Amino acid sequence: MKLLLEGVTKTFGGLRAVGDVSFSVENGAIFGLIGPNGAGKTTVFNLVTGVYKPDEGKITLGKKDLVPLKPAEIAAAGVGRTFQNIRLFGQLTVLENLLVACELQKKAGLAASLLRLGAHYSDERTMRARALELLRVFDLADAADEPSTSLSYGNQRRLEIARAMMLSPKVLLLDEPAAGMNYGEAEGLKTQIRWLRDEFKLTVVLVEHNMQVVMGVCEDIHVLDHGETIAHGTPDVVQKHPKVLAAYLGEEDEEAEADASSAEETA
Amino acid sequence: MSSEGKDKDKAAAGAGDRADGDAARAKTAKRAAFAVGAFGLVLLLDFQLASLIPDSSIRQLLMLAACNVLVALSLNVINGMAGQFSIGHAGFMGLGGYTSAVVASQLHASFGGGEVTFARSFIVVPVCVLCSAGFAGLFGLLVGLPSLRLKGDYLAIVTLGFAEIFRLVIATAREATDETPGHAWAAVRGIGGFFHAIGVSISALGGQNGYQGVNPNEGVPLYAGPFWVFGLTLVLGVLAWRLKFSGWGRALRALREDEIAAAAVGVDPTRYKVTSFVISSMGAGIAGGLMAIMRDGTPVVNPDNYNFQVSFDAITMVILGGSGSVSGAAIGGVLITFTIKAIELVQGTAFVLDLKRQFDGLDLNALRMMVYASVLVALMVLRPEGLLGERELFSKKGRKPKAKAEAKAKKDDDAPKGDPPEGEAS
Repeated sequence: MKLLLEGVTKTFGGLRAVGDVSFSVENGAIFGLIGPNGAGKTTVFNLVTGVYKPDEGKITLGKKDLVPLKPAEIAAAGVGRTFQNIRLFGQLTVLENLLVACELQKKAGLAASLLRLGAHYSDERTMRARALELLRVFDLADAADEPSTSLSYGNQRRLEIARAMMLSPKVLLLDEPAAGMNYGEAEGLKTQIRWLRDEFKLTVVLVEHNMQVVMGVCEDIHVLDHGETIAHGTPDVVQKHPKVLAAYLGEEDEEAEADASSAEETA
Repeated sequence: MSSEGKDKDKAAAGAGDRADGDAARAKTAKRAAFAVGAFGLVLLLDFQLASLIPDSSIRQLLMLAACNVLVALSLNVINGMAGQFSIGHAGFMGLGGYTSAVVASQLHASFGGGEVTFARSFIVVPVCVLCSAGFAGLFGLLVGLPSLRLKGDYLAIVTLGFAEIFRLVIATAREATDETPGHAWAAVRGIGGFFHAIGVSISALGGQNGYQGVNPNEGVPLYAGPFWVFGLTLVLGVLAWRLKFSGWGRALRALREDEIAAAAVGVDPTRYKVTSFVISSMGAGIAGGLMAIMRDGTPVVNPDNYNFQVSFDAITMVILGGSGSVSGAAIGGVLITFTIKAIELVQGTAFVLDLKRQFDGLDLNALRMMVYASVLVALMVLRPEGLLGERELFSKKGRKPKAKAEAKAKKDDDAPKGDPPEGEAS
C-alpha cells in the first residue's frame, strides 16, 4: 500500500523539526530515509505512527488518512514499527512480547476471556502458533520463555522486528535496525530485510546511518537535513548529490583546505 | 514438502485435536468439581461457622480478611498489573459501602423488617453487590477518564482528592434548617435546587455519626454471611487470576513496561487503563459493599471507615504481597488484616493499659503507621518486588518450558518453505 506524505511540518517550540517534507513510498518498495543526526528522521516516523501530530500536511496510507488516528489505530491500519532505542516489554518473556501485538486480532473480548469461553482458548492457540512461527523465522524460538531483557542487543533488535511483524503490517518502519551491528551482522540484516519484503509482501521504510545497509538495500532514498528535504533518488543519484555530500562531509572548500593541510602535515 | 511429511503432519494434527478435546473435557470436569466443592464448603460455613468459632470477633476477623483480599485484588489490577498508582481506593470502597448499606436497609424495610434470613440474602446481597459495583464503577469512569488520558502520575493526585472529597462530603452534610445559610436555595429551581436536593439526600446518610439504617439506631441489616463473603472472594479471585493470565492482562503488563511501544502494536493505552481502573473501582465497591453488610460486622457505616489510612493499608497489601501477583495480593490482604487485629489485641493487654496510664496519649494505632512505613521502606530496599514479586503461588510450572518444547518439536519436523536466510553469525 502506498504511504504518502505531503507537505508535512512539525515544530517544537521554535525548532522546526520537520519542514514541508513530501515523499511517497510505493507498494513493495524498500525506502531509505537518511540524513545527519538531528535531521528529523525519527520525528517523521513518530508523525507517521501518530506519536506526534503534524502541524501541517497530509499523511495517508492507501486511501486512509493517518493524521487524525491514534497510535494504536495506526497500528491497526497496518503500520508496524521498531524503535531507535529498543523498546521491548522488559518483564515479559520473548513469546509474550509477540503475543501483546495480537490484541487487535483477538476475537474473544474481555468477558469471554474472564469466563474462559472457547473463543479465549482458540484465540490463544492460534496466536501462540503464529508467534512461535515468527520466532522460528527470526531464530529466537529457543529463547521463547526467556525474559526479553536477557537477549543480546542484536537479538533484541530482531525481536522488535518480529513483534512488529505480528501485526501483519502493510508498511514496516525500521528505525536504525543496524545500530550497533558489525559488518557481518549488517550484511545479514540486508538479506533479512529483502527477505521480509518478498515473503510478507511488505513495504519497508528504513531510517539508518549505516551506509553499507542503506546503499545496499534501498531502492529509493530520501535525504533530510535540519528537517528539510535536500535530495531524493536512487542510491547512485543520492550518493553523488552535492547537497548530500555537503550535509554529511561539510562544504567543499573546507574539505579542500583540510585535505591541503593534512597533505602538508604528512609532507 | 514430501507426501510422507504431510501425512505425518496430518496425523500429528489429529492427535493434537484429540488430545486437546480430552484435555478440555478433563479441565471442564475438574472445574465443575472445584465449583461444586467450593459451593458446598461456603454453604456449610454459612450455617456452621458460628458453632465452629464461637468467638464472634474471630469470625468477624476472618470475614474481614476475605473482604480485604478483595480490596487488595482489585487494587492490584490498576496498581500492580497496569502500573498506575491509585491512592484513593478507600473512596471507592466507601461508595460501595454506603450504596450497599442503603440498598440493604431499604430492601429490609420493604420486607417489613424482622429477621435477617438466609433465604432473603439471595435477593439482598446480589442487588447490593450489583449496585455497589455499578456505582463505584461509574465514579471510577468519571475519575479515571480525565486523569488516565494524561501521562504521568495524575491518577494518584486525582484519586487521593476523590477519596477525601467523598469522605468529607458525607461527613459534613447536614439537614438544612431555616437557619442554615443559603437555605433560600431550597426554593430556587434549576441548578441551585438540584444541588440542594443532592445535599438533602446526602445528609440523610447520617453525616459524621454514620448511616444506621432506615430508622435511627436500627442498624444496617447484616445480610452477607460467610456464604456470600467467602463465595464472592473465591469467584472474584478466580476472575482476577484469569484477567492476569489473559491477553488483557498481558497487554496491561506491556503497557506498564512501555506505553509508546504498546500503542505501536495496537494496545490503546487510554482504553486499557480506563477499563482496568473501572474494573478496579468496581472490585473496591464490591469489597466495601460486603464489609458494610457483613454478618458479625458493625451495623454502622461511618465516613471514618474510609479515611486515607484505609487506602494506605490497601496499597501496603498489594506492595507487600508483590505488585502484579494475584496470590500475592491475597496474602497481603490477609496479613495486613491480621496485623491490624493483632495490634488491637496488644492494645487491650494489661501491660499496655498500664503503660497508657503512665504515658498519656500513647496510641498503638499511630505506632502501627510507623511500623508499616518502616516495613515498607525495608521491603523497598531488600525486596522491592514484594514477597512474591509478579510470580504466583501454585502457578503451573509445566506451562513455562512448553513454548520452547513446542518450538523445538516444530523445528525437528521438516522445515516449511521460505525459511529465512541465515542472518548474522549468532
